[in-house]
Amino acid sequence: MSDIWRLIRLTAPRKGWMLAGLGLATLTLLANFGLLALSGWFLAATAAAGLAGYAAQNAFNFFTPSAMVRFFATLRVGSRYAERLVTHEATFRLLADLRVWFYTRLEPLAPAALQGQRSADLLGRIVSDIDTLNLFYLRVFVPVLTALAAALLMASFFAFFSVPAALALILGLGLNGALAPVLTARLGAGPGAAITRLNSGLRAEYVEALQGMGELLVSGAAPAMQARAAALNEELAAAQARLGGVAALGASLSGLAANATLLAVLVFGARRFEAGGLGAAQVPMLLLGAMAAFEATAPLPGALNYLGQIKTAARRIFALADQMPPISPPATAAPALQRYDLELAGVDLAYDGGRKVLDGFSLSLPQGRHVGIVGVSGSGKSTLINLLLRFHEYQAGTARLGGVDLRAFSSAQMARHATIISQRSHLFHTSIRDNLLLANGAADEAALWHALEVAQLADFVRGLAQGLDHLVGEGGASLSGGQARRIALARAVLKPAPLLILDEPTEGLDVETERAFLADLAPLLAGRSVLYITHRPAGLALMDEVYELRDGKAVRQR
Amino acid sequence: MDPRLMREGKRARGALYGSIGLGLLSAWVVIGQSVLLAKLVTAISFLHQPLSRLETPLLLLALLFGLRALLTYGAERLASRACLTIKTGLRAALLERLFARGPAEGAASAEHATVLLDGVEALEPYFARYLPQMYLCVAVPLAILAFVFSLDWISGLVLLVAGPLIPLFMVFVGYRAEAINQRQWLKLLALGTHFLDVLQGLTTLKLFGRARDEIAIIARISDDYRRTTMDGLRIAFLTSAVLEFFASLAIALVAVLFGARLIHGHFDFYPAFLVLLLAPEYFVPLRGLSVHYHARMSAIAAARQIFSLLDAPVPARGSAALAPAEEYEMACEKLSFAYDGRIVLQDITARFPAGSTTVIVGASGAGKTTLSRLLLGFLTPSAGRILVNGQDLAEIDPESWWRALAWVPQSPRLFKGSVEDNLALGLPARDFAGLRNAAARAHAYNFIQSLPGQFGAAIDEGGANISGGETQRLALARAYARQAKLLILDEATASLDAGTEAAILDSMEQGAGVTAIIIAHRLTLAERADQILVLQEGRLVQAGTHASLAAIPGPYRDMLRTREAAYV
Repeated sequence: MSDIWRLIRLTAPRKGWMLAGLGLATLTLLANFGLLALSGWFLAATAAAGLAGYAAQNAFNFFTPSAMVRFFATLRVGSRYAERLVTHEATFRLLADLRVWFYTRLEPLAPAALQGQRSADLLGRIVSDIDTLNLFYLRVFVPVLTALAAALLMASFFAFFSVPAALALILGLGLNGALAPVLTARLGAGPGAAITRLNSGLRAEYVEALQGMGELLVSGAAPAMQARAAALNEELAAAQARLGGVAALGASLSGLAANATLLAVLVFGARRFEAGGLGAAQVPMLLLGAMAAFEATAPLPGALNYLGQIKTAARRIFALADQMPPISPPATAAPALQRYDLELAGVDLAYDGGRKVLDGFSLSLPQGRHVGIVGVSGSGKSTLINLLLRFHEYQAGTARLGGVDLRAFSSAQMARHATIISQRSHLFHTSIRDNLLLANGAADEAALWHALEVAQLADFVRGLAQGLDHLVGEGGASLSGGQARRIALARAVLKPAPLLILDEPTEGLDVETERAFLADLAPLLAGRSVLYITHRPAGLALMDEVYELRDGKAVRQR
Repeated sequence: MDPRLMREGKRARGALYGSIGLGLLSAWVVIGQSVLLAKLVTAISFLHQPLSRLETPLLLLALLFGLRALLTYGAERLASRACLTIKTGLRAALLERLFARGPAEGAASAEHATVLLDGVEALEPYFARYLPQMYLCVAVPLAILAFVFSLDWISGLVLLVAGPLIPLFMVFVGYRAEAINQRQWLKLLALGTHFLDVLQGLTTLKLFGRARDEIAIIARISDDYRRTTMDGLRIAFLTSAVLEFFASLAIALVAVLFGARLIHGHFDFYPAFLVLLLAPEYFVPLRGLSVHYHARMSAIAAARQIFSLLDAPVPARGSAALAPAEEYEMACEKLSFAYDGRIVLQDITARFPAGSTTVIVGASGAGKTTLSRLLLGFLTPSAGRILVNGQDLAEIDPESWWRALAWVPQSPRLFKGSVEDNLALGLPARDFAGLRNAAARAHAYNFIQSLPGQFGAAIDEGGANISGGETQRLALARAYARQAKLLILDEATASLDAGTEAAILDSMEQGAGVTAIIIAHRLTLAERADQILVLQEGRLVQAGTHASLAAIPGPYRDMLRTREAAYV
């Protein structure tokens, strides 16, 4: 339940919208109750007056009740429309809040906390879990509280005429709206959780099958993969069938409870009438009122079903959001730097208590110096970058930038001092322009073209029908591997920073382009501190010193 | 779109009709119980009969209530079973179709996954709620209307006027709402891919110090989504307002009209009260229709996506089996390929002799990868043909073709599972010694042994826990494990350091009788090849051995020179 409380607390800033929706929903229910109960009374009262003769007909106030009947009908229309608009508006506002909240929580955790997570799982978590969480207001909060408020008000009205009938109504509403749904929810909790889990598993399976289709086809594993997806889908269908069965049971039990209440209200009303405590017109009034009352509890079985799914989604979302950030944020504001000399001495870095990837690593990179680091794959080159960019905390040794301890910087503050051309630069599914502006939002057209020139991509972009507005596709799918890399290079040109980290920058480029690029890169290096991490010999000639990363240490090569 | 969806509904016709039939029966039970209730109230309030004399109708009423509960249960179960049959069938058909189309260039796989999962799921309300309600909302009101007319023609007239106006208004406002809904579904898709994109690129965003800016973008996109969706809903909700308007006003009118006649003694209480009991029931199916109407609209929007995938053309497949052979020779004859009107490859004629190693070199964008995709049979040539041991590739069943070859793409993909699962991908039988041998040849053995669990080590989705170089070695091992006589490598050693690459090349020469076609970015590979093909802007400009091509002026020698310059 604490997850649900936390969810409610998260939605607190929208309480104005939320309460307005709640009030309108209650009003809609009461209007219908009033309309039917009054109509029942009105029919019987006029019939009784009609039978009682001329004097009674003339004494009967026809106008007020008939005007009230029309009033209730009109009120119902207006409040229904307003209720729909307000509750949905609230829902969408909450959705935006939730997404932003989750992203804000996730951002400091990346990339450390996300390594090892299935990316399709993450998509499942954010899009579908947050959508599920978002159903809480519309499908649980509003129906439950509205039913509670309306049930109490309607039963109080009944109590004026017959206390047993009022008790029967409360009991019936309770059976119909609370007991049957709780029973349903109990039975539905298992399948509900299974559906959420299977849905996200199936999504990951589909993404994997579709992205790896070529290899699956050639290796003949496609039928097996399809069969695996089909089996998972069967499992999902079985869970959905179980949930469907539980829902059907709940619906028929709820219906039975409502009808039993009608019977009870009729019997209690008749008894009271026989005892002289009720007028003839009040028996049909109570009966029709009771019929209308069950509109209040109709959405409750659905509400509790949703609750099961929402709890599972909430648990997963909160678990992901509550992970500890890999580095503790610095206590003070970012120190201003005069110089950018980088000094690493005896640094150890291990992930989650595993083996030390950096083990007594020492390196000195005075401002403006160019240092190359070579190493075979797996020697810890990426870890060195994780260290410098403050993605992971180091356990021992000292690391200083411009004389200031690296621990005084957050990763965002470090990002201001360093530009990186990474072998894993991500291309966003948007235009070339937006992918470039990412590096420097203030860059003008000329700056963008200059960056493309440096990256040897200008001719290609000029040849595109949409030019800079060409969409790069999912993960840069409409570009060749080399072109995608060169966009990343152009980004680095757009972001001047005193420290330039080149992380396998020419990886995947053919020799000719590599040479041309390195030649163009040379003037850009001037005046910047450069750390060139690579396993390829090309370009090392541009460096002042070269080290090999071996056994977690830097070993001087030249 | 509805007829097409109905055709899909045929998969589960029995259950669907069963559900509708039970719904109709349930409507008759409602009329029966209203009659009993009206009779009881009249007997109590106006005939002053004591409860003790009314036991029989009370018992009968209880029985009808029980029957109604059973009917409700049955109808719900049948509808849910029908939906599951339809969804399962559609998902299998969609996946089948996507695989039949083959790996598409620049395909948005996340979008396709969204259609497969959420798109198909969005059809559920259509079949479970909307479709049965369509039948019920015609049959049930008609039955009640006929019954009401038999009691009082004035009330009958009120209901007759109010009823049909509801669907009419819904059609009137529904069409505009549908158009808006279409846009909303597209936004939903974009939102799904946008989020995946943002998460995948979160590290890059942080590197540029832009991760925090994305918060505002997510807020803006969510806000856009709210605005367009609310535009649609403002209209869609009019349908429920219209329904309330007619339903509530009709009940009010029936009550007031009866009151006026009852007070003058012109009418009896029993039929009047019975009509009042039935009037809300008259609107119940229409009310259901309104609630599920926008379920229909989002189902239709989803259905468009589903059917556009299902109806997309599938490339023609050959049907002949590849004649089994000890060795394979391949050849291209005047092979051309154009995409979107742009010529990517033109007039390539080349031979890949059995047992030989061919290295294809050229600048990025020269068409090397396209050539490999043509050879693999993923793309169909625009002109010319590809021969395998003299057989036209276009006539060969792709599955029998793929069985003969092994392929390592530019960025190979590892699948969630163990290292062993990945190496044995698609192999009919698991031969551990063979896998170990293949791993050793690809220089993956030592690093596999260093993993926790060795060959049983878990690989995350997309090989997220394995580095680029390791992934390539595993992919090579996977290719070796197939012991195919044809090997196509597309820059398969790009992420490896020169030492590892050379060692792997040594091991490749152990596979005698293998026809290898290697797309290379580094010329070290070319020096060892039996044949080098040089591609330039989609044309084959040079062919020969390293020695012959290095000796004459031309693109190959230029490449050699620039390489030397790069390694100073």
